[in-house]
Amino acid sequence: MNPYWGAGFFEFFAIFFSRIGQFMLGQFSALSADEVQVGVLSCVAISCGVVGPFLVLKKMAMFANSLSHTILLGIVSSYLLASFLWGGGMFDLSTLLMGAAVAAFLTAIFTEGFVRFLRLQEEASVGLVFTSLFALGIVLVTLYTRNVHLGVEAVMGNVDALCFSDFRVAAWLAAFNALLIALFYRPFQIVSFDSNFAKTLGISCGFFHSLLLFLAATVCIGAFRSVGVLLVLAFLVGPYLTARLFSSRLSRLLLLSPLLGILASLIGVALSRHLLSVYDLPLSTGGIVVMVIGLFYVMALFGKLCMCHRWEKFHA
Amino acid sequence: MSFLDFFTDPVLRGPTWGTLLMCISSSLMGVVLFFKKRILLGESLSHATYPGVVAGVSFFAFFFPAHEEWTFVAVLGGAFISSLLGLKAIEWMEQKGKVRSDAALCFVLAVFFGIGTVGASAMQLAIPVWYQQVQILLFGQAATMSDSHIILYAVLSSAVVLFITCSFRPLQALLFDRDFAKSAGIPVLFLEKMVFWLLLFSIVLGIRSVGVVLMSGMVIAPVIAARQFTHQLRMVFFLSACFGALSGLLGNILSVIGSSYFSFQETLTLPTGPMIILVSASFALFSLLFAPHRGWIFRLSRMVFFRLRCLQENILKALWRNGSLSFLDLRKAHAISSFSFRLALFGLSQEGWIEKKGGLFSLTKDGIQKAESVVRLHRLWELYLARALGFEGDRIHRNAEEMEHILTPELERQLTVLLANPTADPHNQPIPQKERGL
Amino acid sequence: MDYALEAKDLNINYEETTVLWDVTFQVPSGVMIGVLGPNGAGKSTLLKAALGLIKPLSGKISVLGRSFHEVRKKVAYVPQRKSIDWDFPITAEEAVLMGRYGRLGFLGRIRKADREAAELALDLVGMTSFAKRQISQLSGGQQQRLFLARALLQNPDVFLLDEPFTGVDLATEKAIMTLLRNQRAMGKTILIVHHDLPTVEEYFDWALLLNIRLIDCGPVSQVFHRQNLMNAFGKGQVLFSEAVDLSAKKMSGLL
Repeated sequence: MNPYWGAGFFEFFAIFFSRIGQFMLGQFSALSADEVQVGVLSCVAISCGVVGPFLVLKKMAMFANSLSHTILLGIVSSYLLASFLWGGGMFDLSTLLMGAAVAAFLTAIFTEGFVRFLRLQEEASVGLVFTSLFALGIVLVTLYTRNVHLGVEAVMGNVDALCFSDFRVAAWLAAFNALLIALFYRPFQIVSFDSNFAKTLGISCGFFHSLLLFLAATVCIGAFRSVGVLLVLAFLVGPYLTARLFSSRLSRLLLLSPLLGILASLIGVALSRHLLSVYDLPLSTGGIVVMVIGLFYVMALFGKLCMCHRWEKFHA
Repeated sequence: MSFLDFFTDPVLRGPTWGTLLMCISSSLMGVVLFFKKRILLGESLSHATYPGVVAGVSFFAFFFPAHEEWTFVAVLGGAFISSLLGLKAIEWMEQKGKVRSDAALCFVLAVFFGIGTVGASAMQLAIPVWYQQVQILLFGQAATMSDSHIILYAVLSSAVVLFITCSFRPLQALLFDRDFAKSAGIPVLFLEKMVFWLLLFSIVLGIRSVGVVLMSGMVIAPVIAARQFTHQLRMVFFLSACFGALSGLLGNILSVIGSSYFSFQETLTLPTGPMIILVSASFALFSLLFAPHRGWIFRLSRMVFFRLRCLQENILKALWRNGSLSFLDLRKAHAISSFSFRLALFGLSQEGWIEKKGGLFSLTKDGIQKAESVVRLHRLWELYLARALGFEGDRIHRNAEEMEHILTPELERQLTVLLANPTADPHNQPIPQKERGL
Repeated sequence: MDYALEAKDLNINYEETTVLWDVTFQVPSGVMIGVLGPNGAGKSTLLKAALGLIKPLSGKISVLGRSFHEVRKKVAYVPQRKSIDWDFPITAEEAVLMGRYGRLGFLGRIRKADREAAELALDLVGMTSFAKRQISQLSGGQQQRLFLARALLQNPDVFLLDEPFTGVDLATEKAIMTLLRNQRAMGKTILIVHHDLPTVEEYFDWALLLNIRLIDCGPVSQVFHRQNLMNAFGKGQVLFSEAVDLSAKKMSGLL
């Protein structure tokens, strides 16, 4: 019996924190569905919150969009490969990581190739690559699984269908991403800020660029089960943009962004539960969380503009 | 089922003509975005249509549930409004939030799509039949289009074509040099506003066939293909529309054939969107590789032919200096594969510049003239470097070795004038004069 | 004797245009050198080639007698201000500290000595009160001084500066030159891509005149005269540039 059944918005938090308290005191009971959702979304928020800032700073946001589409092809091809070679399931960690690598590789190779050898505008190259690879992915998925719903799910995710094993996978990915970013914080910082200077220091910009790409791919692929590949973009970009309005230190932003994402996840799941309990509306939790992220940004921007306006008027 | 049936059969013709017409406008607008270097705007705006589609269909479902065939009007209207809001949101973020363009595009894309997802999930519960209508718009499904669709899409596409035709000159000026256009009195801001409205229009038109998620592909791919074949903007527009229409047509046909081909026990519907995109991407890739003059293959072959020509001209010079030479003697000076060397020699003899007599190669009369013209360019250039630019030493000769193959008759004329018709080069060797008349 | 900078038959193409053609020169250590030439002459490219950022088509360029990677720790690069994204979330202090990254590697900790050296460098350039500001809040002159501080932190033997005086106020320019003269007095070599001809004789010991090809290289008194300036900035070169450009395009199959 789900302890959150029938709970409203504020009651959700009460139950949630009391259960955390119970967990701390060792009175552990099995995780309920809502907690799994919060858990997975928080892990996604952490992964995106540490990788997203660098993507935005390196002007790779639309490339991340591109990646999020080609992920589907990566997933399908690695699943086909994995099930053929060792009977791996679609959502095993190893299959996912392999799919991430395939997607990142294909996207980067083709985009770079079009720009350099076929002399195509960079944006057009990005666009051509991801729409065609995604279309290919959809066709393969439809043919192989005999329905198009997997394609739809890949795009939109299904938070409400998450289970504990998803939590484990998401947690591992979050730890993996956080560790790598923490370890390589300095090179990532300097490569994003001044790549020529970085090269003169002997830092290989190519290596870190590829690493960031791979991390972005793992983030997308880890998130596709929960929020889907399109909504993960909101996690990557939104919390960073919101945090940036308040802080200009990269180290702080790398802490603030995941926190904002986690907060949005909590509020989103609580809201979803509230709407279900009070209004009997089972809405897409993933979509609600993304809307909360959007709302955070709008509120933050409005707040900042009002503050600036008042500051100017005060000093005029 | 013959090819013509697709155009005439009452069930098939709606989708066929519909997709054909729908893809035209987005291909045309893609041209404008491409030259404004904002081609990924199409991606954001197409995703931003999703909440509007959901809202429009829900609205329709509650107020006019009886007139299901007219749902597409609600779809068009709702999509238009929400993508307009998306456009405004992007502008707001870029201007007020000082957010970089790609981050703004990405964020608006995701958030709007999220809003749509929430709305769609509500629909799934409350009005599941209408929910299906919305879901097919994700990846496009032209199959149930009727004749009324054809008429509407024909009218709307014509509006786009008409705008572009009428405002072609100011648009061309705007795309080429915005500041100049402004200073020349062209209503730049108004034109840009119209362009964005039309872009929204074309995206909204296209989502039925291509789908919300893939729509940007129809903005991007046709112009990439068209661009490879021509330098004139007029032709780019025309070819882009052609490629777009053809992709729509073939994609639709392929999805119909594919669906029936792959349906074994249960029917499988291959969505039209991905098929259309795959067709147009193939056109784009093909054009990038094989388009005459700009295609990659042609570039590669031009490089190869140029190298061969340089080798041939060097052979001619060697023969001019040394009279007749055997194959081995000639070969000594050039560290190139035997095959290329033989090919060069073969080409030279076929064109009549050299002849082979008793194992030795020598120049024909025409060959002598040709060799002299190359030597002339070489020595002219050496003189230019030494006299006009103050170069010294071995570099003069080395550079001339490279430049003798490059200098065009135009450049040669300029050199002759600049150096006042010289007769001797820096090493005091005579410069072969250009023969007037033949 | 090791030259500070030496190039031999250097040819560099960039996107199918020839940017540097057959450049050969030697520059001694311990002098202030001005790299002069019109726009598009390849001055920035020369610097980037020296830093190993651009690969030459042929020929070679060496710093302190070796390839850049071997002497990396002895060379500091001050890039053009316009090549930086000034909205990056970083304070002046943190930006200066980047000068030490090369020595620390990825995982080394920033020690107290590094922080104090950064403070000292900021003080030398007169930026102590701006240490905690985010870099977009700095003026053009302050940003330039920031980069100089970063270079100072690297404790190099050779400074390579790309147009440091563009868009910078006169006071800052004078302050930077004073600082650089002090460095020269300590035996360092300073190479500046410069665009302001009237100040050449005042600032530099040596001059390198470039316009795709080398016009001249030597002490300012010998090299900075009318004939060379006409060759560097004049029109007689147009035919050369056209031809060289055509060559690059033909080689890469564009025409």
